[in-house]
Formats: sequence, structure tokens, C-alpha cells
Amino acid sequence: MLHLSLGRADYGWTLELQRTLHTRRRAGATPDVLLTVEHNPVITFGRSGSHEHLLASPSDLGREGIELFEVERGGGVTYHGPGQLVVYPIVDLREHGRDVRGFVRGLEDATVATLADLSIAAGRRDGYPGVWVSERKIASIGVYVSGWVSRHGLALNVAVDPTHFAMIRPCGLSVETVSIRDLVGRAVDLDRIRDVLLGRLAERFGWALEASSLVEVLGEARE
Amino acid sequence: MKNKVIDIRLPDLGEVDEVCVVQWLKTVGATIAVDEDLLEVETEKTTFVVPAPAPGRLCEVLAVEGATVERGGVLGRIEQPG
Repeated sequence: MLHLSLGRADYGWTLELQRTLHTRRRAGATPDVLLTVEHNPVITFGRSGSHEHLLASPSDLGREGIELFEVERGGGVTYHGPGQLVVYPIVDLREHGRDVRGFVRGLEDATVATLADLSIAAGRRDGYPGVWVSERKIASIGVYVSGWVSRHGLALNVAVDPTHFAMIRPCGLSVETVSIRDLVGRAVDLDRIRDVLLGRLAERFGWALEASSLVEVLGEARE
Repeated sequence: MKNKVIDIRLPDLGEVDEVCVVQWLKTVGATIAVDEDLLEVETEKTTFVVPAPAPGRLCEVLAVEGATVERGGVLGRIEQPG
């Protein structure tokens, strides 16, 4: 399993990269890849996303420089932006027992374990995918699987601007969102939390993560 | 000779009891290859694209967009020359 840390990257660019890697994974041309990224502000609509759940006006979005994307993942409307750790596993689920539900559970479990490492008590809620700290949502899930290969994934709120969350009604629910920073009451380092989450994902799924580069992942180094 | 008809069933996705049909990616009459993407279904924040179980011609769509389908349910049918 290769790990590629993209740092801060535009959503649209990352979406195209995911689709390229997904096509290659389906063809057996690349191994499983885990992307980690922090996006510039964006609002995305999944397959059951309704624009009614967008609360911001076009002028609000324009002022903040926030783009909108309709994407193929499951779920409704989601915000991504600075201070949020996003993980996109491009994984062949035929090697994980074709267990789509189990895969999502594993992503949630690894996130819960990561938060426990930070002394935050979080959990899953039946019927409400994602990770929750009591009634508040701290991580969102939205996955797409074709040819039994996954893309899209998980977004963990590390230190997100709460005014940006106010622009949407996440997945149509009147739920509050929360960030790790709000719970620990001090600044938190996104890179450190990424490393903890990578460790917990590796443990949960039995992955041996190997740091990689864009050039290596795209196979251009061999050409 | 009579053509052979094959059911397209919702695969076992783990502990998933039912899904909602999002959209068909093929129309009735289309020629399809085995494992080709046929339709999108959604369950609890996951879009799953159902692959074709066999090559042939999509002859019938039983689960239309918005329909709920249970595990193992028949989504449509593929016809193969007999």
C-alpha cells in the first residue's frame, strides 16, 4: 500500500488524480494507494446531495472563493477546507473480502482509535455513518466503489473554520460539527494527527504503508 | 433456439440489507461485457457500481431509479444468444 501525502491541494485537481489512480487500480496497473490531503475550501454534493442543503448564497461563496462540485461518492452535501484531514483510499476490495460495509466500518474504527489517542471519546452511530462525539460530527464518510475498487473516503475535522460549516446542512441533517481543536482547547498539528491516523488505519486493515511520491505513483519514473 | 436469460442480482456487500438505485449506466438493448459497470446503487454514504455478471444484451430493467432493493434482489436481466 503506497501512501501519498499531497499537502494542500485543490479539490478538482485531487478528484482527477483519484479518478486516474482508480482507473489504473482497476486495470491492475498500480497497487493500492492511500492519498492524504488538506483541501482549499470547497462544497461537494454526493449522489444523494440536494442543493437545498446549501445555506450560503452565491455571493457568500464567491467572496470566500468556494467552488461547488457534484461528485459520484455516496452521501449528501459536505464541506472540505483548511484544517480538515482528508483520506482517500484507492483500494481493491476484492482483497478485503468484498465487504463494502466492513471497509467503511474500518475507516470509522481507525478514526475512533485516533481520537482515543488524543483522549477524545468518539464513536459510530447506527444508521448515521461517520464519527461522532456525542451528538456532534467530527468525521464524515463518503465512498464510491466501482470494479470493486474504492475512491473518495474520509474527512476528519482537525481545526476547521466553523463559519465555513455554517454554509451547509451536512447530509441534510441538522447536526453540529466539531473539530479536534475545539475539544482539546488548544492548537493541534494536522501533520501529527495524520501520522496517528495512518498508523491506526494500517493497524485496522493490516496495511504496510510505504511513503511514495506523485511521480512514483503515476509510474512516470519508469518511462 | 431460445435465448438464455441471466438475472443481475445485487451482490453481497457485507452487512448491507438494502440499497437504493441511483441510476442505470446502460440502457435496455445495450451490449455489455462481463464486469462492465451497469448501475449505481447507494447505501449509507457509499455508492456501489454493480458489475455485469455476464456478457450479453441488457434486456430488462426491473429496479428503476429510486427503487429500494434487498440483498440478492434482481435488478435486471441480461440476454445471451442461445
